[in-house]
Amino acid sequence: MKLKTNSYIVIIVLFLLGAVMPLVLRRYNLFMLTEIIIFALYAVSYNLLLGYAGLLSFGHAMFFGLGAFVAAVSIIHIPGLTLLSAVIISLVITTITGFLIGGLLLRHKGAYFALLTMAFNALFYAVATKWHSVTGGDDGLSISRPEMDLGFASLSVSSVSSFYYLILIVVGASIVFCWYFTHTAMGKTVLLMRENEERMKFLGYNTNISRLILFTFTGAIAGLAGAFYTLHFQFVSISAISIDMTTAVLLMVFVGGTRTFWGPILGAFVYIIFQNYLSDITDRWPLFMGLIFVFMVLYVPGGLSQTIVSIRQWFSGRTGTQDNGPAKAEET
Amino acid sequence: MKRSIIKSLCFLSAVLILSLPLYAAAADTIKIGATEPLSGTFKDIGERYLDGVVYAAKVINAKGGLLGKKVEVVPIDSELKPDVATRKAQNLIMKDDVRFFCGGTGSSVGAAMSQLAERENVIMYTYGMAAATMTGAKCNRNFFRPCANTDQQSYALAELIARKGYGKVAIIAQDYSFGQEALAAFKKKLAQANPSAKIVAELYHPAGTKDYAPYISQIIAAKPDVIFTPNWGNDLTILLKQGRPMGMSQKIFSYYINDEVTIQALGDDSLMIGNMGAEVYTLSIPTKKNEEFVASFYKDMGYYPTWLRGKAYVATMFWAEAVKKAGTTDVDAVIKAWEGLTYDGPAGLWTMRACDHQAQMPLWYTEIVAKTKFFDHAFEAPAGMAEAKDVSVPCAETGCIMKKK
Repeated sequence: MKLKTNSYIVIIVLFLLGAVMPLVLRRYNLFMLTEIIIFALYAVSYNLLLGYAGLLSFGHAMFFGLGAFVAAVSIIHIPGLTLLSAVIISLVITTITGFLIGGLLLRHKGAYFALLTMAFNALFYAVATKWHSVTGGDDGLSISRPEMDLGFASLSVSSVSSFYYLILIVVGASIVFCWYFTHTAMGKTVLLMRENEERMKFLGYNTNISRLILFTFTGAIAGLAGAFYTLHFQFVSISAISIDMTTAVLLMVFVGGTRTFWGPILGAFVYIIFQNYLSDITDRWPLFMGLIFVFMVLYVPGGLSQTIVSIRQWFSGRTGTQDNGPAKAEET
Repeated sequence: MKRSIIKSLCFLSAVLILSLPLYAAAADTIKIGATEPLSGTFKDIGERYLDGVVYAAKVINAKGGLLGKKVEVVPIDSELKPDVATRKAQNLIMKDDVRFFCGGTGSSVGAAMSQLAERENVIMYTYGMAAATMTGAKCNRNFFRPCANTDQQSYALAELIARKGYGKVAIIAQDYSFGQEALAAFKKKLAQANPSAKIVAELYHPAGTKDYAPYISQIIAAKPDVIFTPNWGNDLTILLKQGRPMGMSQKIFSYYINDEVTIQALGDDSLMIGNMGAEVYTLSIPTKKNEEFVASFYKDMGYYPTWLRGKAYVATMFWAEAVKKAGTTDVDAVIKAWEGLTYDGPAGLWTMRACDHQAQMPLWYTEIVAKTKFFDHAFEAPAGMAEAKDVSVPCAETGCIMKKK
């Protein structure tokens, strides 16, 4: 119980801290922070698959990109569409797609699962590239951000700070929702399934259905992040649905650490900041990102979050019992 | 537990502080962001374009700068991806208040940059992105094109073929929007300039084709007098390499024939000699202004300002004229000043048309000959001029509806 209260305090403090950021940060940094929050949601959704369920997917970008493209296409083709309706359309379509693809994949695990997700991603990428009349092909799609319609008033979110607040509230709430999800019975089932699927089956759980629900859920969340990505940059191109986008989220999650819920958020933070500053300094920034990735996987498999947890344990003098699952590592 | 909260908050604030960049205000420079592919397959093209912009800045700065300020070129590696280019440009706008952008490679990058420019109210100009729609249906007031588009280049070559009296023409292009647009414009102009001329073969092949034998035999069977192609890169070199030995001996009229790198890569001058191209800038323009420019460029850099460098240079000097006329770096003022402005540079008299922001200029056609004063290999003979009015697309036909602010 105490654990949960503490978590709530941290969440509230983070939101408050986020709320004062526009007063402290310059426009450029605020723009970057908005991007970080969006990618944090994407990374969290990926970690629900990788860290919690132990499913390595190489195709998460298909949901992210699909969400991004659906948002752009619907804004372009449906006149007068409000911002939230565009997001909801994306969410619905990615959920359905997640369900259909999940249905085809749910019997596969390990390498087969990874390769099949990669194949699906390649399929989506090919469609996005070739279907020029809808997706713009190599040219991509430019949109202008629609207004928010709150029912009683419409709100302009064209400025950097007002859009930031929207993202902080909506995407922030989605991240909290994901965190809450891990504490529900369904979330726990996923964890147990990773640990010992045979036993779960003997206990009478249909693990295939649990996996399908999880896959659909994470797909929908990634699609949501994708839709906000489009709204943020007001532009989407085939990069959003390419394998690069999957690699990006893999990097974020590995750098941040898969063993905690907040690891991927930290990873997104580090990744975006690195990407922005490294690409200012050198054109070879993917090389450095790659080196960091290799280093992390070889020497710090638990990621940054693991390092922080270890340091904290070292300071508080506790013997470092290694956590073996996100469920136990939510002490923050 | 409390301590852990404090610690994580400490960490968070540390990260935030680190993420604040060192702020260096530099109000005494005018910055231009140049979006070019500076890594990957098209690195060579991007670097040569960038070279031209940097040299223009150098010339301007040597004469005391622009409005008393130094011009600074900020290279942006677009990786030829529109999302990468716009993301970096967006950062520059917010971080350093950069108001001017340019670029020459990739119409996809240009289209995205054009939209960004309109949204953020900055100026984007291009010296190489040729898709006609960018100053056509997709035009906007923040985008300028001080270079030729596909329509103008096709018009110039069609005009040239008609003037030389060739009656039977074979045309071949890559099967995507660029190739199709180029051929459509060519056919339209040829029908006007020489109604008796006949297109004896019209072929489209996928971009990146490796085996041209089926296309070449169709061309040979059609017995044309000349061949027109907008192909570039490998699609041009392979067409020549496979076609000439098979007996495709006709003169080739092409957009990008005057690329010294392509000629060197072919390694066999005989494949190239006799072919003709047309561009807004070629090294061999026989005007006094161009000869002076080429001489001083060669003196400073040790090599020649071949087409890409020249195009980027002339366009950037044109932009500088607009800023000079505006007397300020205010974007709206510069847009107003550039509309209708005339610039008399190394490549003749250029006028920026207000209706679609497409510069109107003469095009220079040239034939590849064995010996020139520039290179050891075959290169362009002194250029002839296709007048601006002959290659111009009337405002009403562009499809551009320019929004006024």
